[in-house]
Amino acid sequence: MQSGPEGSQAWNGDPIDEAEALRRLQLSDDPSAQYYAAWWLGRSRTQHPQAVPLLRNALQQRRARQLGDEVEENAVARNAARALGKLGAIANPAIPDLLATLNDDDHGLREAAARSLGQLKAEAAVPLLLARLASGPDVAGAREEGTPRMKEPCDALLEALGDIGIGNDAVLTTLKSFLHHERPVVRSSACRALLQLTDDPQWGEAMVELLQHDQLQVRRAALMDLGATGWRPALTAISNTLAENSLKLIALRGIAETAVDKAVDDAVDDAVLDAMDALL
Amino acid sequence: MTLPTPIAALIEAVDRADTADGLLEATEALAATGHPAGARCLLEILGFNNPGAAVAAVDGLIAIGEPVVDTILDNLDGYNYGARAWSVRALAGIADRRGLPVLERALAADIGPSVRRAAACGLGNLQLTDPNHAEAERERCRQGLIQATDDGEWIVRYAVAVGLERRLRETSCNPMQRQQGENALRKLLSEGEDVKVVRSRARLALQRLSNG
Repeated sequence: MQSGPEGSQAWNGDPIDEAEALRRLQLSDDPSAQYYAAWWLGRSRTQHPQAVPLLRNALQQRRARQLGDEVEENAVARNAARALGKLGAIANPAIPDLLATLNDDDHGLREAAARSLGQLKAEAAVPLLLARLASGPDVAGAREEGTPRMKEPCDALLEALGDIGIGNDAVLTTLKSFLHHERPVVRSSACRALLQLTDDPQWGEAMVELLQHDQLQVRRAALMDLGATGWRPALTAISNTLAENSLKLIALRGIAETAVDKAVDDAVDDAVLDAMDALL
Repeated sequence: MTLPTPIAALIEAVDRADTADGLLEATEALAATGHPAGARCLLEILGFNNPGAAVAAVDGLIAIGEPVVDTILDNLDGYNYGARAWSVRALAGIADRRGLPVLERALAADIGPSVRRAAACGLGNLQLTDPNHAEAERERCRQGLIQATDDGEWIVRYAVAVGLERRLRETSCNPMQRQQGENALRKLLSEGEDVKVVRSRARLALQRLSNG
């Protein structure tokens, strides 16, 4: 799951405009200004012709975390990767860079690249994603010693497969191999992708079950995953989940907008909007 | 003040709780009474950084309703940021006119999207019936909501559409005010609005308003 709904506001940046963001992104001796600029460009979904070339450059920047850093390792590159995923078709020229980034040593950077490739529906990423997952839940999904994370960012890799939308046998077999991973969050990601690729309700039902999980973190992940699929039968279960209303609203937005995409006009059935109104 | 015995026992249970779940359960029990004597304790819970318990405490404050408004307002400035956000939600839920200035400020300037969202909803919900002030207060609600159609967060704009629908449905709303409010809703329905669900909600609001 990506940062929470309040995350963007928690980052206390000053208000800037597009030109300023593009200028700051080039300040290679001020990574913290670049970090903010990359985030800003993604969030505002800029369509400026300079944005993608500059973000591609920023994606190549590497900087180990140093004492006194307020930001994460390779922070500029990670935010550049995240921003590229939000820009839509204009970012397609950056797909080869993101594909290369999928093999970077930095776990967090691989995760950001995977998510963005999913958002860009980059079909070329499928073989690479499958390769990183090929060792299965016991290797790729095993805990990396000395850290809380897995060897691979499995949830992001699985979700990218679902977002890209190619449901061939190799993809489905890989996804199913993670259905029994020890981490419920990973199981939820696998179900999400399977539901997106097959429309088989059993995967939606499995995520609805995770909405009842003991841990808040798991319930949050299942909410986000159901929202990404837009699975309408989950409506009531989402409303009743013990989690923040902000997250339930994001999940319901996913359901409402999937319905809009399927409808001829922008009409959604009122029940989804009524459920959202009740959570404000 | 001597507290009624059952309330005192419930407050003691809150004080004694030593786990997050324990605090949640004790808060829910106290909140369910809706008794004004529990208000002080519920307000303290808002500052504990336990979101589950805070949700229950807000529900409890809303259940107490009007008698707790002054206490919330008196303590606002002393709260930490998180507690202030929760108290804005309580004021929005109680819908008492004394909450208006706080909700106006929160919608215009709070840094937390969930606080602005609750404030927008509150400006749509406030029960404004004081014959000397109601008209001016309703106008302040409408203007606050109209201004917030520019908010950067989609969920705040969504809540603005909901709030405006409620305010424009009021029979006291004159044709000019209604026109101005509907124009704001149309803005949330236009090309400039890039979030589909906000457009859907604005469309629904306009449909309902034109159906009477």
